[in-house]
Amino acid sequence: MQCEQFEQMLELQDEGALPKPALDHLETCEACRGLSADFAAIHDIALELATEEIAPPERVWISLRNQLEAERLIHEPQETPTSASPSNPRWWTTLQRPAFAGAFLGIVLAAASAIGYLSNAPQTSVQSQLAPQQEISSVPSADSVFKEEALTVGNESIPGLQRQDTAVTDSIRRNLQIVDNFIAICEKSVREQPDNQMAREYLYGAYQQKAELLATATNRSMTGGLQ
Amino acid sequence: MNPSFSSPARVGALGAVLAGFILAASPAHADRIEKHFPVQSKPKITVRNSNGRVQVKAWPKNEVLVAWTNKSGKAAVETEQAGNRVEVSAQANEEGLSADDSKIDFEITVPVESELSVRTDSGNVTVDSVHGDMTFDTVGANLQLSDVDGYMVVKTIDGSLVCNRCSGKLEANSISGNVQMLSPTLDSVRVQTSSGNILFDGSFLSRGIYIMKNFSGTIEVHFTSSDSFDVNATSLKGDVINQATFKPDTHGSPHPASKWGHSLFGTLNEGHAKVELSSFSGTIKILKRD
Repeated sequence: MQCEQFEQMLELQDEGALPKPALDHLETCEACRGLSADFAAIHDIALELATEEIAPPERVWISLRNQLEAERLIHEPQETPTSASPSNPRWWTTLQRPAFAGAFLGIVLAAASAIGYLSNAPQTSVQSQLAPQQEISSVPSADSVFKEEALTVGNESIPGLQRQDTAVTDSIRRNLQIVDNFIAICEKSVREQPDNQMAREYLYGAYQQKAELLATATNRSMTGGLQ
Repeated sequence: MNPSFSSPARVGALGAVLAGFILAASPAHADRIEKHFPVQSKPKITVRNSNGRVQVKAWPKNEVLVAWTNKSGKAAVETEQAGNRVEVSAQANEEGLSADDSKIDFEITVPVESELSVRTDSGNVTVDSVHGDMTFDTVGANLQLSDVDGYMVVKTIDGSLVCNRCSGKLEANSISGNVQMLSPTLDSVRVQTSSGNILFDGSFLSRGIYIMKNFSGTIEVHFTSSDSFDVNATSLKGDVINQATFKPDTHGSPHPASKWGHSLFGTLNEGHAKVELSSFSGTIKILKRD
C-alpha cells in the first residue's frame, strides 16, 4: 500500500480499527504512523470539546492557551507550498482536506468560546487564567496534539484553500494577516491590562472573525468558486 | 490614383464586408443571454456568482429578467424557478477555470418589491431601487446600494459598502472594507469593520439604534443641531473628536468614566436615538454637518 492510499483510507475511516493492509503499512511507515496518531488526537480532542461546551477541561484550555500565547497558531508563517502537488509534503495535502480544516476551525471556535466564557467570569479568576501558563509543564501542550506545521497559518497556508482565483486567495490571505495582527495586539493589551473589559471583548471579536474567515476560506474552496 | 478606390461608396462597402468577417469570426459565446421569469408580487431572487459584475435594478413589471455574458464561453448559468423563487447560479463547464474564464456579468431586473440574496467572490455588486430584505456575501466584491429599502445584511471580507439613501435596517460586517452610509433613513444600523473606515452622513431617526464599531479605522458621524440622540463613544487607544455640545446623559444608568482610553457620553436634545461608537485604536469623529 502506498502512503496516498493509506491517507485516503484514514480519512474515510470513521470509527474502529483500520483494515489489515493499512495496519501493515503502518508497521513499516513512520510518517503514516505519525499522521495516524495526529488524526486520532484531533478526533479525541474534538469529542472532548463537543461534550463540554460551557467549561472545557482545564488541560484542554491550557493546551490551547499555551498554543495561542505562543502564537504558533497564527504567526511565524513558514515557507510552505500554496497548493497540493506531488512535491508537497503529505501533511500539507492532508491539511487541505475539509476534515482537517473543520477540526482546525473547531479548535479556533472553541478558543473563542473559552475567551468569551472567561470574559464573564469573576475578575480574579480571569486574571489567574490569563496569566502565562508556561510553568505548568505537567499538562500536555498543544504541540503534542498537533504537529506545529499543521497549525501554522500564515502567508502561504490557509487550511482548505485551493482556488484558481488568485485575487480571492490573496484577499483571504491579506485579511487573515490583518486579523492575526489584531489578535496579537489585543492579546498584548489583555496581558498588560487584565481588567480591561473592552480589550478582552475586542480579543474575543478578533477570534470570532478569524474563525469566520477560515470558515469562508474553507467554504469557498469546497464550492470551488463556481457552483 | 484609381478613382474606384476613392469612391466613398466602395470604401463603405469594403468596410461592411470587413465588419461582416469580423462579426462572423467573433465567438458566439460572448453573446448576451436573457431569461424571463414571470412572478407574483415579492419574489425571492438568489444569485450565486464567482467572479463578475452583478447589477440589480427594479422595474414595475411582475417579471424577473436575468441577462448575462461570459466572454470565454467556459462558464454557464443555471437558472431555476419555483413559483416566486428564482435562483441563478454560475457554473463552470470545465475544471480549473481561471478567474477571467469564469467571469460572468449579470444584469438582473426585478419587481420593486423583491427579496435578494447575492453571493459572489470578486466583481462589484450594485442594487438600485429595490425594496425588500437583502443579504450579500462577498469576499472582495464592493457593494453599492442605492435607494433601497428593507432589512439589509452585508458580509464581506475586504469589499466596501456604499449605501446611498438606504432605508430600513442595515447590518454590515467586514474585515478591511470601508462602509459609507450617505443620506440614509435607517432606523437600525449595526456596522462592524476591522481596519476599514465607517462614515455615517445622515439623520439619526427617533427611536433608531446606531452601533458602529471598528478596530483601527476612522469612525465618522455627521449630525445636525436638530438631531436627537444619546451617544456613547469610546476609543481604547485612539482619539474621540467631538463638535457637538452634549448634555449629560439622563437616560438609563450613569456612565462611570472609563480608566482605559477616551470616552464620551452625552445627550443631544431629547436623546431619542441611541448612538454607540467604539474603536480599539482608531479615531472617532462626531462632526457637525455643514
